[in-house]
Amino acid sequence: MNRFPLYLLLFVLTFASCADELEIINPNQITNDSFWQDETDAVQGINAAYSTLHRTGFSRWQPMLYDVRADVGTSNSPWSELANALNNFIQPNSNFGPMTDVYADNYVGIFRANQVIANVPGIEMDENLKARVLGEAHFFRGMHYYHLASLWGNVPLQLTPSSPNDLPPTSSEAEVWEQVIADLDYAAANLPLQYGPDDVGRITRGGALALLAKAYMQNGRYAEAVDALDFFFTGEGADLYDLTSNYADNFSALTEFNVESVLEWGYADNPLEFTDQDTQTPNHNYGTSIAQFYAPPGIGFADAEALRWVVGEFEEETTTDGSRDPRLAATYLYDHTDPAGPEASIVYGTPWIDRYGDSDRVFFRKFLNDDYKNEEGFRSPNNYRFIRFADVLLMYAESLNAIGRTSEAYAYVDRVRERAGLPPLSEVRPGLDADAFLEQIKHERLTELTGEGHRFNDLKRWGDLGPGLADRDPGFANYQVGKHGLLPIPQRDLDINPNLVQNPNW
Amino acid sequence: MQSRSISLALLWVCLFLGGGNLLAQDLLTVSGTVSDAEGPLIGATVAVKGTTQGTVTDVDGVFTLEGVDPTDSLQVTYVGYTPRTLAVAGQTNFTINLSENISNLGEVVVIGYQEVKRSDLTGATAVVPAEQINKTVSNSLAESLQGLASGITVRNGGAPGAGAVIEIRGAASFVNTNPLYVIDGMIADANVTFNNNDIESVQILKDASAAAIYGSRAANGVIIITTKSGRKGPIRPALSVTTGIQQIPRRWDVMDAAGFAALQRTSYENSGLEPPASVAADFDPTIDTDWQDEVIRTGSTLDANLSASGGSDNLKYFVSGSHFRNEGVIIGRGFNRTAFRVNSTLDLGRITIGENLVLTNNNIRQPLGGFDTGNPFYDMVTMLPVIPVRGDRYISDTNPGGWGIGTVDAVSYAKNQVAVTDLLREKINFLKLIGNAYVQVELVKGLRYKFNVGLENSDDFSKGLRRYGVTQFNAAVRPSSIQDNRSQFSSLLMEHTLNFDRTFGNHALSAVIGTSDQQTKRNYTFASRSDIVESGGDPFEQINSATGESLAEGGVTTDYRTIGFLGRVNYNYAQKYYLTLTGRVDQDSRFSRDNRTGVFPSIAGSWRISKEDFFRVPWIDDLKFNASYGTLGIVTLGSWDWRGTINNNPRAILGTVQVGAYQAGLVNPDLRWENRKSQNYGVEAAFLDYRLTLSANYYDILSEDALVTNLPIATYLGNLGGSPPVNAGSIRNTGFEFEANYRQQLDRLQFNIGFNLTTINNTVQAVGNRGDGIDYIQTGLTRSRVGEPLGEWYLLQTDGIFQNQSEIDAHAVEGNLIQPFARPGDIRYVDVNGDGQITDQDRSFTGESPWPSLQLGSQLGLSYANFDVSAQIIGIFGNTLYNSVRSQLDGYQNTNFRSDVNPWTPDNTNTDDPRIGIATNDQGLVDNARGNTDRWLEDGSYLRLRNLQIGYTLPDAALDRLSISNLRVYVTGQNLLTLTKYTGLDPDVQGNGILERGVDNGNWPSSRIVSLGLNLNF
Repeated sequence: MNRFPLYLLLFVLTFASCADELEIINPNQITNDSFWQDETDAVQGINAAYSTLHRTGFSRWQPMLYDVRADVGTSNSPWSELANALNNFIQPNSNFGPMTDVYADNYVGIFRANQVIANVPGIEMDENLKARVLGEAHFFRGMHYYHLASLWGNVPLQLTPSSPNDLPPTSSEAEVWEQVIADLDYAAANLPLQYGPDDVGRITRGGALALLAKAYMQNGRYAEAVDALDFFFTGEGADLYDLTSNYADNFSALTEFNVESVLEWGYADNPLEFTDQDTQTPNHNYGTSIAQFYAPPGIGFADAEALRWVVGEFEEETTTDGSRDPRLAATYLYDHTDPAGPEASIVYGTPWIDRYGDSDRVFFRKFLNDDYKNEEGFRSPNNYRFIRFADVLLMYAESLNAIGRTSEAYAYVDRVRERAGLPPLSEVRPGLDADAFLEQIKHERLTELTGEGHRFNDLKRWGDLGPGLADRDPGFANYQVGKHGLLPIPQRDLDINPNLVQNPNW
Repeated sequence: MQSRSISLALLWVCLFLGGGNLLAQDLLTVSGTVSDAEGPLIGATVAVKGTTQGTVTDVDGVFTLEGVDPTDSLQVTYVGYTPRTLAVAGQTNFTINLSENISNLGEVVVIGYQEVKRSDLTGATAVVPAEQINKTVSNSLAESLQGLASGITVRNGGAPGAGAVIEIRGAASFVNTNPLYVIDGMIADANVTFNNNDIESVQILKDASAAAIYGSRAANGVIIITTKSGRKGPIRPALSVTTGIQQIPRRWDVMDAAGFAALQRTSYENSGLEPPASVAADFDPTIDTDWQDEVIRTGSTLDANLSASGGSDNLKYFVSGSHFRNEGVIIGRGFNRTAFRVNSTLDLGRITIGENLVLTNNNIRQPLGGFDTGNPFYDMVTMLPVIPVRGDRYISDTNPGGWGIGTVDAVSYAKNQVAVTDLLREKINFLKLIGNAYVQVELVKGLRYKFNVGLENSDDFSKGLRRYGVTQFNAAVRPSSIQDNRSQFSSLLMEHTLNFDRTFGNHALSAVIGTSDQQTKRNYTFASRSDIVESGGDPFEQINSATGESLAEGGVTTDYRTIGFLGRVNYNYAQKYYLTLTGRVDQDSRFSRDNRTGVFPSIAGSWRISKEDFFRVPWIDDLKFNASYGTLGIVTLGSWDWRGTINNNPRAILGTVQVGAYQAGLVNPDLRWENRKSQNYGVEAAFLDYRLTLSANYYDILSEDALVTNLPIATYLGNLGGSPPVNAGSIRNTGFEFEANYRQQLDRLQFNIGFNLTTINNTVQAVGNRGDGIDYIQTGLTRSRVGEPLGEWYLLQTDGIFQNQSEIDAHAVEGNLIQPFARPGDIRYVDVNGDGQITDQDRSFTGESPWPSLQLGSQLGLSYANFDVSAQIIGIFGNTLYNSVRSQLDGYQNTNFRSDVNPWTPDNTNTDDPRIGIATNDQGLVDNARGNTDRWLEDGSYLRLRNLQIGYTLPDAALDRLSISNLRVYVTGQNLLTLTKYTGLDPDVQGNGILERGVDNGNWPSSRIVSLGLNLNF
């Protein structure tokens, strides 16, 4: 018994000496506190924002929302919930995965940008690089809010790095657009004109201005759009961009980052990837699965496909040498991708007639890789050209026309038509008034840009969304004005945050 | 209040019955000693029969009684022992031997760092004998425990090598409900790598008093496993072998090809579409695949054990080797375990040295998990019978094996499960060592010091092989690859304890104090290379044989340390009044410095009223009341969850691939221990000469600071990698447990009946600040709202089928149709919020619960002469299951159909099945197939004959010549009979985590096993 106090002392000593033994370092990752120290950290921080571009929601579903929810696309997906939500404006479940994936990935991008915006100003580093990184971050935040404003309209604005209990209120669509414009404005002021070969694909001043112009246009602020786009014609960007001679080069994985590229999301094939989750492992999917989801049945899922009426738009005119508009074959896989018909139209190595007989279905081709292989998969390396110089030309023309400078606008439309081999508009339809010119622009945008994820915003901007489109796209029979212009805010967020309100009529 | 009034009433009854009469005669002073086989018994009661006169034996077992009438009788009682009555008959000196009775109350129970007699337990501790555990053929201990004790809930995994889910007294955590396992003093998980045949006994610590010695780990209860050890005597070899066949007791009744084709045609025609050629013009009657036949097989089990034990005065040893093998009831799945165990104790007077070592080698074979793998319990049911297992027409670039999969013409997204087992293969090996070694020194009489070192080490290796080709219609093909995943786990436990054990007259005192230090670590390395090489259809399985691109990953997934200081004092006065004080202080590296220390005290007391002098109830042998209160803890975190870290996995795809880094996951630095405040009130009683024992307990366990990790986090935060945990939850579990055991021996007939009953009332008390008016956690199909049980069904409500257009028109708010897309034959949903449309806002509590209201278990044993029969029965009542497989079948889209499906038509209105058609562009049909509705809920109650065993022990005479001491052969049927209304394969569903416990996501059913066995002892 007399040894008892000794043992007690021993225990207490053992116990007291533990404090440091319980400081166990995480050997896998560095902590937040030790990051954001230098230039490398700043660049890696902004690189994370680029990584969002190949996340599933952003790279797969988002372009689909813009095309299939518009009048150029439809869905015969056997996943009926998807078909109905995408094409038929029937979405009883506001948490429906593909939609919330898009919503979520835009906020993932915003969280990434916000960390850069909050942490990089305090880093001692090269001021030019710092300005660039912050410019990129503001671009990404603005770009993500651009998509949120376009698709959901009234969303919460997260402008600082998130903390778990943030309960922000819903900001109005107009407030969100203001944020888009402010961020893109900041980005344009701080971003360089070009990058070296290792950094090709980083956001340039031209990229920021082109998206800024789009944001202005969506809000009817055409004069400011013209100011932004002047950069490409009279400003510093005047010599930087041009149209490729071959239209189809804009949709091939073999001709990426070409002279027409203004904003382009880089994708690559990582053959060993085993997940789409870009934070799980470096071995994640660097590509986009959109090719798999757009490719015709037997190759891909064909969750999105085209409507045939648009083919007629291409056939309205022939080229100056009397042949078919070359953009048609670059835009669609269908029974006449080759004008000679279904026997000559090759779909992934096999004639149309052998795969689909006399089917009159039409499939979007621009995101596909059938120019160099006969299958698709979840990791298409084919870059998504978000804004091409051709789009900039048509935007400029549309904006000039909108502010009464119609005659100036012709030249820019003509550049687009000339590349396609069509006669200049100034010859075939000179002297159009503003309304007629806008109608012409609508046609030009269809033939130049269909299947690239712009149509929904185009229709929205022109005020054309409505049940009247049901003649072209029966899905629009269900379209309710005042409701379906915006998607429903996911219920799961409404469940969590009482300060949020659902979009009108949802 | 109720238990108090009952005890008062008993007191009165006792006093009344105990009132005796005294008559003076020539009186004697008698004395004597009371002992059992081991030595003197302290605190045995010696009373003069029919009077209130009595005494208890002292520390030497000696008693003295004065004034005893020579014609009186002495009644000697000791808890756990058969009472004896001896006539005084003028004698004044007695030597009285007692023997342990049939009740097991005298057996020693391990309660963690100490042992006590079962009769001296103050906390809620269940003891499960090994013989009951080993009646079942099972993958894991948890599976074997199903139904054997009150207060535990077990849900089986089913698959070879799959564990079971076990909960002790309900689920009090949103994260982790697994109990702590302590194997021979080593804290280590008794998962499928553990061999049940090594078990000597299992004790389940259910309340705070029992479990508090394990403090920060004990909140979900503790299961203490004592393995077999050697006994003094000559070498005793033993052999047991059990081998059996295994079957899925029930299958889905789905259509054959002709039936499917007919209904599929109807479906297309109903939607005004032309049926696909596969069920029309090109229908091939020679293809009629029963996918269940293709995927299900008769499995087999083999369990063989060989052991030897023995010992001298100083050295005792036990060695065993075992092999367990299970070929699963689904193709491509198997499990085997080979185990070797040795333990010995060396007794050197005041010093005892001992060790326990188990080495197990475990192998699981199954399809490599991933996007293409699917779940056979969905796929074998939904896959179309018009698709063959293989066919030339399916051969393509991406399907070189020509596996039958859906086509444009016969759309099915089910995976071809035969192809899955061929193309995707995985072999997993766990090589595991668990053991401990100790030295114990008796410092002075009654005071022992023990140093115990425990080790668990596991080398885990899984080899995955992905051959080239798809398993599903329209799937994207991935490169073939080989993947090696190696992981090393180690856990080192070091404990110093001082045990004190003395009696002073009627005062018995035992105490333990000690320190405990455990370090747990896991690291892994993963490597893979694409483009495997095959030769003659056999793939090469080594990374070096593959020719494509390589990748490597690795890291430390776990590294933490827990240091604790523990102590307990057990005091009792004359086996009448008991007090137990227990406490533990733990520090854990998984918390920040400020939150690192947790304190877990408990107190318990017992009163054995049956030993009070005033208590004289002849028909009550033993009656004891217990009460306890205390706090337990649990860490439900990863090693570094409280610290925000930078994720450098993102990549920018620019001119070059560049590293991106940022904080991907939000963290909460203020993480704390989860606490449980546990109360227990119990009564134990024995009757009929201890043949009948009863115990009843009421418990109330309140979890506080429960970690909520799966809180749905707002999407707009942009968080990735799971929501940050918050100590925000609180859950209360209350319930009643009752156990009864009756044993009797009548000449050559012995029988025993055990019965247990459990109720669990689970209520969420807090879910943290979820925002104004949000007092719930939404998880898929369930919602956990304050005041309701965890994870209650929260679904749209259906209200029959629209029989005609006027019913659709009438289902309206202010003239606007609530279901504008509905047609006659569609499901009517209840517009709960009255807003004129059916949205997620119309979900509500269905009033049905995934929680059983009552759980029963019963064990029956009967032996006559050389025959023995035993049975285990379990019953689960009052719960509801979500039948997800049926929701797929009855969604009608791209699936086979139930044979008895009876779709609504205008001429067939008396049915529960809505109209059939193709849902694309028909929102009415899409709505009918909605998942989050009460249409898929079913009664999950069941009563199951879990085990039935008939054995025959060969007569000794026949064995003596072979020097066999005992030979028993038996036949066992497991899960032979289940009574249930559930239409899925098995109502014993593990569910989808803690919060969706009733979701049958293609759950692997419990198998029916018929086996033959042999026990042989030399």
